[in-house]
Parts: sequence; C-alpha cells; structure tokens
Amino acid sequence: MIRARELTKHFKVHRRPPGFAAAVRSLVHRKYEVVKAVDGVSFTIARGERVGFLGPNGAGKTTTLKVLSGLLHPTTGEVAVEDFTPSRRQAGFLGKITLVMGQKSQLIWDLPPSETYAMNRAVFDVPQAQFDATLGELTDLLELGPLLGKPTRQLSLGERMKCELAAALLHRPTTLFLDEPTIGLDVAMQVAIRDFVRSYNQRHEATVLLTSHYMDDVVALCPRIIVIDQGKLIHDGDLRQLIKTRDPDKRVSFTLTQAIGDGELAQLGALLARDGQRFTLRVAEREVPAVIGQLLGPLKAADLAIEDPPLEDILREMFGKHRPEAPA
Amino acid sequence: MTRYLRLLAVQLRISVASAMAYRANFLVEGVMSLLWLAITLVPLIVLYSGRTEVAHWTAPQALILMAYFIAVRAVIEGMISPSLVDLVEKIRSGSFDYVLLKPVDAQAMVSASRYEPWKVFELLGALALIAYAVPRLDATPTPAQIALGVVLFGTGVAATYALWILCAAASFWVVRLDNLMYLLGAIFDAARWPVQVFGEVWRFLFTFVVPIAVMTTFPAMALLGTIEPWRALATVLGALALLVVSRLVWRIAIRSYTSASS
Amino acid sequence: MIARTVRALPTLLRIGVAETVAYRAEFLVWILTMTLPLIMMGLWTRVAEVAPFQGYSPRDFVAYYLATLIIRQLTGNWVAWQMSEEVRSGAMAMRLLRPIHPFVAYAASHAAAIPFRSVIALPLAIVLLASSGASGLTSDPLQLALVVPSLALAWLSTFACLFAIGALAFFLTQTMAIANLYFALFSLFSGYLLPLPLLGPIAGIAAWLPFRFMLSAPVELLTRPQDHHHLAVLLGGQLAWTAILMTIALSVWRAGVRRFEAVGG
Repeated sequence: MIRARELTKHFKVHRRPPGFAAAVRSLVHRKYEVVKAVDGVSFTIARGERVGFLGPNGAGKTTTLKVLSGLLHPTTGEVAVEDFTPSRRQAGFLGKITLVMGQKSQLIWDLPPSETYAMNRAVFDVPQAQFDATLGELTDLLELGPLLGKPTRQLSLGERMKCELAAALLHRPTTLFLDEPTIGLDVAMQVAIRDFVRSYNQRHEATVLLTSHYMDDVVALCPRIIVIDQGKLIHDGDLRQLIKTRDPDKRVSFTLTQAIGDGELAQLGALLARDGQRFTLRVAEREVPAVIGQLLGPLKAADLAIEDPPLEDILREMFGKHRPEAPA
Repeated sequence: MTRYLRLLAVQLRISVASAMAYRANFLVEGVMSLLWLAITLVPLIVLYSGRTEVAHWTAPQALILMAYFIAVRAVIEGMISPSLVDLVEKIRSGSFDYVLLKPVDAQAMVSASRYEPWKVFELLGALALIAYAVPRLDATPTPAQIALGVVLFGTGVAATYALWILCAAASFWVVRLDNLMYLLGAIFDAARWPVQVFGEVWRFLFTFVVPIAVMTTFPAMALLGTIEPWRALATVLGALALLVVSRLVWRIAIRSYTSASS
Repeated sequence: MIARTVRALPTLLRIGVAETVAYRAEFLVWILTMTLPLIMMGLWTRVAEVAPFQGYSPRDFVAYYLATLIIRQLTGNWVAWQMSEEVRSGAMAMRLLRPIHPFVAYAASHAAAIPFRSVIALPLAIVLLASSGASGLTSDPLQLALVVPSLALAWLSTFACLFAIGALAFFLTQTMAIANLYFALFSLFSGYLLPLPLLGPIAGIAAWLPFRFMLSAPVELLTRPQDHHHLAVLLGGQLAWTAILMTIALSVWRAGVRRFEAVGG
C-alpha cells in the first residue's frame, strides 16, 4: 500500500551562466535556484495494483520513485509505503521493497551475477531454503540458467537486465519500483520483462510502480496511470478513461481505390494523415457507424481500421500545452 | 549482528575467489611482497650502518617501528583502500543508491567490500621482522608491554580507518575529493620513521593533523616500553574520538546525499 | 604520417591539458613525486645535523632531494596506468583507429601535462635549490647546459619504459602489478630513495641499470661537479638506454597490437 499526500521535493541548484567572468564570480558568490521537482503530488495505491508513471523527461517521476523508496527525503508532505516512512530506511521497510533503475546497475561488474546474489542473500538475511526456491523460480521465469556463471561484463544488455531484475527480487519484496527497466532493450526482451513483471505481480500480489518512456510497457502492463508534468500530477486513473476524456474521437484508417474530393473527405472526418491512397481520419465516436457505412458502401474502401488515438499523441498534446523552454 | 558477520564472510570469500582466479598472481604477489619488504628496509639499513642511534632509537627499535609500519600499510592496502576506492566508483556511477536500499548500515557495507588478500603476506613479513628484532633489543618486552603494543596497534588501525572514511565521506560533496585518499597514502609513507626524527613543525603535524604518529610510532613505543602512560591513554582516546567524528561526518554526508541527489 | 602527426600536435597538446585535469592517476603521481623526496629530505637533514652522513652535509641532502623532486616532477608520468585502463575499457580500440601512432599521442599528452602540474611546485623548488648553498651545486656552464638534454633523455627513457609496461596490458590483466614492481626497483636503483653512493655494495650494480639514467643522471649533473669523463659516461649511458628502451617499447607495442587484433580486443 502506497500513500502520498501533498508530496513536495525541492532541489537547490547552482546555476552558472557561461563565460569566464561568471566562472570566477561563482567561486565567491553562488546563486542558487530552487527547482520544484515534485510539487504537491497526492495519490493512493492499493496492494497488488500495477500503476504506470508517465511524464516527459524531468517531470519528477524518478524523483517520486526515489522518495517512495527512501533514497530522498521529501521537502514537505507525507509518504507512507506499507505503513513505513520511507526516509527512515528501516530494515523492515527495505526488506519489503525493491527499486530497479534501468540505467544503474547493482551487479558486481567483474564477477558472475551469482556472487551478487550471494551477497544480497546475506544482506537481506534470506533463509537458504527460501533463497534457493526464489532463485529457482526466477531462473525459470527469466531463463537465467547459462547467465549465472558468466561475469557481468560479458553479458549483453538484455541478459544483464534480466539478472538485475532477479537480483532485485531475491528477497521477495511486495512492492516493486521499476524505473525505466526496459530502456535500451530489444522488443523481444521488453515483452519478456513485461510478462515477467505481470507474472510476479499476480503470483505474489506485489504492488508495481513503473516508469517508462515506452508506451507499450505502460499500455501492456498498467491498467492505471498517473501522469506527472513539471512536478504536478495532472491525471490519475484508468488508462482507457484518460484516452476517452482527453481525446474521445476515434482514428479511422482506410485505403481507397478511387479518387476522392477534399470536400467529400472533410464530410467524413478531419484528415490526420495521407499516404498515397491510404487515409487516416479523426472521427467523433458517435459518427463512426455512419462513416463506416459510407466507407464500406459507396466508397468501397479497403483495409479498414478503427483505433483509439495513440497514447503518445495524447501525452504530447498534454505536455505540449504549457511547456516553457526546459532549463538546460 | 549475524547479518553483518555473514555479509563480511561473503565479501571476503568473493575477494579471495577473485584473487585466486589469477594463478599467476600467487607467485607475483609473493615476490612483490618480498621485494617491497627488502626495499622498505634498505634506507633503514643504510641509516644504521652509519649511526648506532637516531633520535634515541636504536637499530632493533627502528626495526620494530618498521614492522608496525608494514603491518598498518598492509591493512590499508589490503582492506581499507580497495573498499573505499570501490565506494567512490559507486558514487560516480550512481550505483551507490543500491547500497542505501539494503537493510544494512551503509558504512559497514562499504568499509569491507573489497580486499587484496595477498597483503596478508606483508602482515606475515611484519611479524617476521618483529621476531627478528626482539631478541636484539636491550630489554625484552614484558607481557604488559606486549598487550599495550597490541592494543595500540588496534587503535592505530582504527585511527587510520577513520581518516580514510573522512576522505571518502568528503567525496560525497565533491567527487574529486577522493584524491585526498591518495594524498593520505603518500603522507603515510613518513610513518615508517620515528616521529621524533622530524622537526617540531612536522612532529605537530604528524601527531595532530595527519596523526601518523598514532598509527605507528606510539604503538611501537608501547611495545618497546618507551611510551609514557598518559600518552598511551591519549592515543587510545584520540583514536576513539577520531572514529566518532568520522562516523558523524559520514552520517552528515549520507544525509546530504539523500536530500540532494537527483 | 609524420607531417600529419606534426600538424596534429597542437591539438594533441591541448587535449593533453584537458585530460590532465580529469585524471586521478595523474594526481597520484604528482603527489608521490612531491611527498617522497620531501619526507626523505626531512629525515636525512636531521640525521646529518649531528654529523655529516658519509660525506653528505644537511645542505647536500637538501640540494639532492630538491633536485630529485624537480627532475621527478618533470619526468614522472602515468602512461602505464592510462594504457591499462584504456585496454580494459575498450578505449584503446578507438585509439588504434586514429592515424597517429599512440606512442606519439600518449607522449604529447603527457608532455603537455608537465607545465600544469608543476606551475607552483617547480619554480619554488628551483629557487630553493639555487639558494641552498650546497657545496656541490653546479656552476660550470657546460655542465649546466647539459642538464637540458639530460632531462629530455631522462623523460624519454622513463616514458618508453612505462609505455612498454603499459603495452603489456595487451597480454596480461594485472599490468599494475608489474608497474608496481617497476616502481619498487626504480625507487631504489634510480637514486629516488637515496643518493646512489649511499647504497654501498649495491651502488655498483645500480650504476649500470637503466633506472640511474632516468633520474640520477640529471640530478648528478645538477648537484655534483663532474669531470668530462663522467659527463660522457652519464650522457652516453642515457643515450644508450633511451635507444634500448624505445626499441623494447615499440617492439612490445607491435606484438601487443598484433595480438589485440587477432583476439578481437
């Protein structure tokens, strides 16, 4: 169970304008700017939920995850994870959570992953029997067999990520914070990891909080998404709901064998894209049946497709609205 | 508590296994230890071929000091330095976050994470030197002196560890400050000589600023029975104070890291 | 090849400066070159205050160790470490793609580092040396003039030796162990730890080993009056050993690169 109330995190950042004179001046007098990484964010997540965090770079997603896992102290506001206060970093708390950062590694570089696992077992005080069972389960699900004995530096990126995941789960945490776990991985590996996370969530009723730049991760894995932009929470709820409220129109794509006038096209719907004879229109939901009738009937359209607007477009539109120039 | 002991055991096993992986190492490390031992002794031999006494230290006494120096250096190069260099690398790469996510005290986890097991040869060398020098002393050390010599060796190592932790903690603020550890290592080289040999300014520096006197000279004096009781007590208290201070600075560093890292 | 190298030199030097500021090994070398001679100086001057030690007065020790510090500051480098790291990290593969021979590239960057490392320490040391009032301090203009080529040869031979050790990284993983071995031998036989005459029976061997010509030769030129015979021996020895070490360095390098390319890095 995760609860955040008016969570705020400020950083004091020293900004130095370019130039030699400014560099010298900064030696004696430093100007500090306050960056509001997270600004009054509140949400509650129940046990066993899978929630996706979405937002542009620098929105505050990673900062929020770090506060939830105890790595950062909140400036103001309250945070509770499984009835613990994360920033106190109590042993009981740490044994229940895990944080996986796609861009940072906890595996010992020159040694096989099995050695890191041994260390984690000692650190988390996992009984041998339970450790063996867990490692066995993870090895099966993630196909780690041949990887365990190879030095980490000899593994490919995808293999390393799988081993990282295993290292993070050896102590059977019940809350998973995943920060960009699939970054840099090929599509097959992304799917494998998604499947694994879903499976773990279902087997152990583990809460999953995921941030990712890959929409597919979020769409496939998270029924609920929280959207953060510039530190503020701008949406919290069902994914389908978000799409419906933001952009209720459907996307209708088709191929025409005969020519069509602009006026006639405009009557069907707003033109979004055209590639030769393949058109994509935006059509209001209630008008879809009529439009389809037109397309399949008189217009003899082929390869008809009706889709929800892509999440990327929705988010781009959400974030694009109030975007001042991002600070360097 | 058992958690920490098991962690230590695992870290040691990993380092030894790592070291054993290179078979050539055994021979090279053995030869290196002997060579370093010999070279460390040459200036001493040259010195005492021309003098019978330097700053009231006779040759066998100076050998005992040298043995302490070699022993403390072995601990530094065998355990303290590799672990803390590893820590700085973790801070640089951001992997230190994972250390904070473990239910083990971060300082404990980073202090003994890496070893150079071959340095144990140098410890043995130090003991051999003591065995050689003791019969040649004017007076054999009493059990009390031996005990005090061992205790002060412990506090000497503790003071060394505390200093290195202070440097490592500093690197949380400015990552390049880990260079201080190299500076310390270089200054430590002066610890092979009795602190009384150096001029007043150096003696002050070496007792209170970079207390190498605490690391080697005073423990050797304890074994030799030439240390005043008050100085021995001050050494122990000083080392303990340094440990406490280093722990405090460490906690401040972590606190600062957990409020500032993005 | 040569023309291209010469044209690239200014850039290489500039980048060498930038790298200097970034490298930790550089700091280590710099610190060691400062502290070791100073500690020894502190020790031996106090010892010699009671009575001159084997002919060295306190002033002589001051002059000797200051000269050693100066020469070591000017010739010390960390190229073995750098090469070992680059092989490990894969950066060496990038370097091999460039049309400039790495020996030159590394040499340029390390030479460029010198002014920046020593801008404070060196002038101070030189002033102190000149004013130390030591009895052996050179005033003979010929001998003084020879210090410059002697320094250059000392630098080149030191560099070549460390380059050879660095090239071993193509064959071994534990090159640093060898580098440590080298430094141990160097510190003893080059006169870095102690003036060579003080070494007694070992001094005879030390007189012929390359280490002497990497450090002690220019120091001897600075601090002891030499007759022309000795001048010839010193400089001739430096020339000979520099040639030998460079040959060894380039051979090891060539063999290493062949192996590197065969194994695939």
